[in-house]
Amino acid sequence: MNTVSLRSDVHEQIAKIAHADIVVGIPSYNNARTIGHVVRAVQAGLAKYFPTYRAVIVNSDGGSSDGTMEVVQKTSVEDFSVILLHHRIEPISKIAFPYSGIPGKGSAFRTIFEIAQKLDAKACVVVDSDIRSITPEWIELLVTPVLVGGFDYVAPLYHRHKFDGTITNSIIYPLTRALYGKRVRQPIGGDFGFSGKMAQFYLTKDVWETDVARFGIDIWMTTTAIANGFKVAQSFLGAKIHDAKDPGADLSSMLYQVVSALFDLMETYSTVWMPIRGSEPVPAFGFEYTVGLEHVNVNTARMLAMFREGLVNLREIWLDILGAGDFREVERLGELPDAEFDFPLSLWTRIICDYAIAYHRKKMPVAHLIKSLTPLYIGKTASFIRTAENMDAAGAEAEIEKLCIEFECNKDYLATNWK
Amino acid sequence: MSDFLDLILEPLQEVFLKFKVFLPNLLAMLVIMVAGILLAKVIRLMLVKSLNAINFDNWSDRVGMTTLMRKGDLWSKPTAALGAVIFWLLIIVTLMIGLSALRMHAIDNLVEQFFAYLPRAFSAAVILIVGSLLAGFISRAILIAAVNSGYHYSKLLAEAVRTLLTVLILAMAMEQLQIAPGIVLAAFSIIFGGIVTALAIAFGVGGIDAAKRMIERENGAEKKDEIEHL
Repeated sequence: MNTVSLRSDVHEQIAKIAHADIVVGIPSYNNARTIGHVVRAVQAGLAKYFPTYRAVIVNSDGGSSDGTMEVVQKTSVEDFSVILLHHRIEPISKIAFPYSGIPGKGSAFRTIFEIAQKLDAKACVVVDSDIRSITPEWIELLVTPVLVGGFDYVAPLYHRHKFDGTITNSIIYPLTRALYGKRVRQPIGGDFGFSGKMAQFYLTKDVWETDVARFGIDIWMTTTAIANGFKVAQSFLGAKIHDAKDPGADLSSMLYQVVSALFDLMETYSTVWMPIRGSEPVPAFGFEYTVGLEHVNVNTARMLAMFREGLVNLREIWLDILGAGDFREVERLGELPDAEFDFPLSLWTRIICDYAIAYHRKKMPVAHLIKSLTPLYIGKTASFIRTAENMDAAGAEAEIEKLCIEFECNKDYLATNWK
Repeated sequence: MSDFLDLILEPLQEVFLKFKVFLPNLLAMLVIMVAGILLAKVIRLMLVKSLNAINFDNWSDRVGMTTLMRKGDLWSKPTAALGAVIFWLLIIVTLMIGLSALRMHAIDNLVEQFFAYLPRAFSAAVILIVGSLLAGFISRAILIAAVNSGYHYSKLLAEAVRTLLTVLILAMAMEQLQIAPGIVLAAFSIIFGGIVTALAIAFGVGGIDAAKRMIERENGAEKKDEIEHL
């Protein structure tokens, strides 16, 4: 296995620190505005909950030009007495540096894994640098199951607006759960805890020159942990509120990145998921509470217009992927007036299975295949929004549960056609 | 009398002597033809078997070659089609080699011209195949991107791009084959320029409202969805 080349000053810092019990990694790229809050929350969490453990905060930066690394170096909790009842014994070290390799979150994580390995860390945490809702408790909730509970991987559990996280809710969660039989609710949450052993295992995998290094790291980490039999848990962290996203971010590119990573892992672990049927819950930690969430504006009429536009223009492509039967159902759906539009769960499940099979059979270039799913996904999202419009969070979650069960019921269809 | 007989026999002897000289060449041609046909058949058989072994038909389906063949009204399997193309190419080459064995000046010239033209025909075929695949790929990418951007005339746009690329590819192939290059170049310039101008006018005049709507949307006049998809 090739190791990443760290700068000599980083080597010196690692040699000076020599050993750490906990490594907290923060990947970043032009996050000077938000990373200060994240670093303060991490420092407070380490000081409050792990005062006797040696800890290091690692900022793996993608070459920011807005002074992100300087913010990390300068940020510290000025008055610990506000949040602590006792003084911290062990100091918290900080390393901030630009990572080398293919630009992407995966390369940033690889460097964090390397440093965790060099420092012989017992537990690691990675948190996004644009999280506005992070609190010191997140560190406790992601580290304790590893240090005390003996778990190797801790996924996050968030409260989100019922209309948020729709790719996770309608594709990633139901499919991952049906494939690998574990109910990990946020497989691509972005904030994870894991053991030093898990970090070392990740480093043995030869994926660092692939799309995993660019954009598929979250689903790759979760799937690798589950598929290789590591002990997996999840912790309730509260609300997930990001910094405002780039409004120009292209939905079809986002869909391509996440779904292609998921389908690619289906190829890698086909022998693992093929015999699994049904699913089981994974242990959950943390005290669940209700959080107030910001209102979300959404225009379902425009979404349905995009779905119908796709139906008219992508007819041949969809017919080729879905087959005549399912395509006819999609066509019938397109003829319904907006007020009656309801995407059947069974049809959506078969569509995702058909796309996975088309990916497996290499029916067309991956980018074309997955980007052609966008109008169907928009139609499904509009249908979900219409259904869950007057539901509370629990009702919306029950709808997602119904979809998950539908995916589990269709596992035979997927497994049979995959061969 | 004997002079008269000589007068008759001499041309016959001459023809016989010429035929005696020509006969080995004819036999050589026939042997070459028979051997060439047999060899072409064996090569076709081996090629088809090798292509089947590497799942060439599946690959053709994936890259869109099968679709391309169907559009051209070719309904055989890509493996069989490629086998047939190679077979007939070998037959033509065999025929040319066989004809050159006759050692006739006119035929020798023809054979020479044929072999000089072969690389051009080959490059034209490559341009047509690669170009068609590329045109299909680009037009599909444009179609999907336009649909996902909510553009109303996605199919029209994709078809327009495919047509432009097809015209370009055909012009390149014909230029390679040296078929009236001057006319081809002029025709291409007129057609290509005409299409581009027509599109520019059509979009410019007919698309004012659409462009206005797009600019308004970009300027935030229309309220954006606030869903976080991930």
